[in-house]
Formats: sequence, C-alpha cells, structure tokens
Amino acid sequence: MALSALWERTSWLDRLLVALLLAATLASFALLGGGPAGARLVVERDGEIIFTAPLKVDREVGLSGNLGESLLVIKSGRVCFRQAPCPNRVCIGMGEVSRSGDLLACVPNGLLVRIEGTAPGKTGYDLLSR
Amino acid sequence: MTSSAVDPIALAAARRRVFLALFAALAVAVHTLEALLPAPAPWFRLGFANILTLSALFLYGSSAAWSVTLARIGLGSLLLGSLFSPGFFLSLGGGTLATALMTAAHRLGGRAIGPVGVSVVGAVGHASGQMLIAWLLLVRHDGIWRIFPFFLLASLLTGIANGLVADRVLVLLRRQPAFAEMEES
Repeated sequence: MALSALWERTSWLDRLLVALLLAATLASFALLGGGPAGARLVVERDGEIIFTAPLKVDREVGLSGNLGESLLVIKSGRVCFRQAPCPNRVCIGMGEVSRSGDLLACVPNGLLVRIEGTAPGKTGYDLLSR
Repeated sequence: MTSSAVDPIALAAARRRVFLALFAALAVAVHTLEALLPAPAPWFRLGFANILTLSALFLYGSSAAWSVTLARIGLGSLLLGSLFSPGFFLSLGGGTLATALMTAAHRLGGRAIGPVGVSVVGAVGHASGQMLIAWLLLVRHDGIWRIFPFFLLASLLTGIANGLVADRVLVLLRRQPAFAEMEES
C-alpha cells in the first residue's frame, strides 16, 4: 500500500497528535538524557576491581597497569586521566567524566574506570521482569 | 428456533456480542504470543493486542474497550503464569492508563480523531503507565527515567503502526453484516 493512501486515512487531529507527541518525546530526550551525577568510581584491571573511591573527595592516585602507572585525578566530582604510559594517550583525550554509568578506558594499560550511582549493586540489571 | 424466525435487530445484536468475544479472545492470544517473541529489551513490546482494543472502542464504545483490555491482561497473565508478578502489574498499569486515555480521546475527539490518533495517545499512555508502575513498585531509583525517552519513542512508532492496522481492520469489519447497519457511535 502506498504511503499517501495511509496518509489520507488519518485525520488532521491524528496528525496533530502524532506531531505533538513526537515533539514531547524529543523534548524528553533532552530533559532526561543527561542522567544523575555518579557517587563513586570503580577501577578495574582485567575484570578485577583494583580501586574504588568516592567522587566527593578530591585526590590523585597512581594506578599500575600492564604498561606502567597511570595518574587518575578526582577533582570536584569529576574524574580524568592526567598521565599515562600508553602510546596514544587516548585515555587522557577522553576528558572528564562525572555521571553515573560513564566510562574512562585505557586499553593498552588495561584500565577501566567506571562511575557508579548511589544504588547498591549497580553492576548489571537491577531486576528482570518477564 | 431457526435464525429466520429471529428478528433482524436481535440477530445483529447477537452477532455484535460474538464479535466482541472474538476481539477479547484474539487480544488474549496476541498478548500471549507476543510474550513469547524475543524482545530487544525487557519492556519493549509491539503491542499488537491494542489493535483489538482500538477496534472494540471504535465499533462498540468505552466499556467494550475496557472489557478487551482487562480480559487480555487477566487471561493473558493466567496463560503465561505471570499473574500478580511484576510483569503483570506493569501490564495492568500500562493497560489501564492507555485505555483511560484512549476512551477519553475517543470521546473528546469525536469524529475528528481516527484510530491512529487514539492509538498514539494509548501508546504513550501505556509507556507512561508502565514507567510509573516500574518506578513505584519495582525500582525506586530515579535512574530508571533515563530509559523513558527511548521507551516513549518506541511506543510512539508501534502506536502509529497499530493505529494504521486498526484502521484497515475497521474498514473490513464495517462491511460485516453485524456492523453494516450500525453507524459509528
């Protein structure tokens, strides 16, 4: 069936409603897309948690990876890599992260920094419903 | 008693009752089959069962739409063994809000609003009702609202598709003798 035939089957109110709800949906992306600030950071190396710290406390920490030591900086709730032994410094280029669910990764050095929220056991699903 | 002895008005009424029972039965079947389909995310469903609620709403009115929705959720969850499980309350919350909004839209919109308009209102109501139940009963965490936009967008698209299908179904059904003499109420 041609699209124009489908179009003609809808009334002006149908089209108005679709347009309004689509606009509301797009607006909700802008409003809700940001997400809440994280509560703490978790550093993994080869799947093992090697370091965790709250985001509230400013500090600098050296993390030893496969190649050497990366310097991680926590400042006013934001986290970034400052120094790294990896060749391309992609992890430094990732900039700062602060929101729950955000990630920083240094693949050559084998480090993964994850920001977590306040909910306990945030890794994986909270609940699966069938 | 043969059907020729029955007066035509009673026959048409009986036919309409049978069709309503078929709508409810089909809605239960579609609801159950859809639960067996693999879903990209736990709550993403196509909502084809709403086609039957829409048809009932346009052919009969509000109370028939409520009957089809509640029969679908009640019997469907009995068949799936999910009665009073979290999924049941999600369905119930979504279905209730969707049907409430659809009947309201049908009543307020009158002839200006077609199946597509009612369907998208219902789809958004379904998504919102489910999110609300999920937030109230299951996951008391504000992070859950982060998936709401994706959920809303998906429901809007399936809502448009279901509305178009319901429109075709209504065109076909209005030719049926049970509904032929009846003008859209």
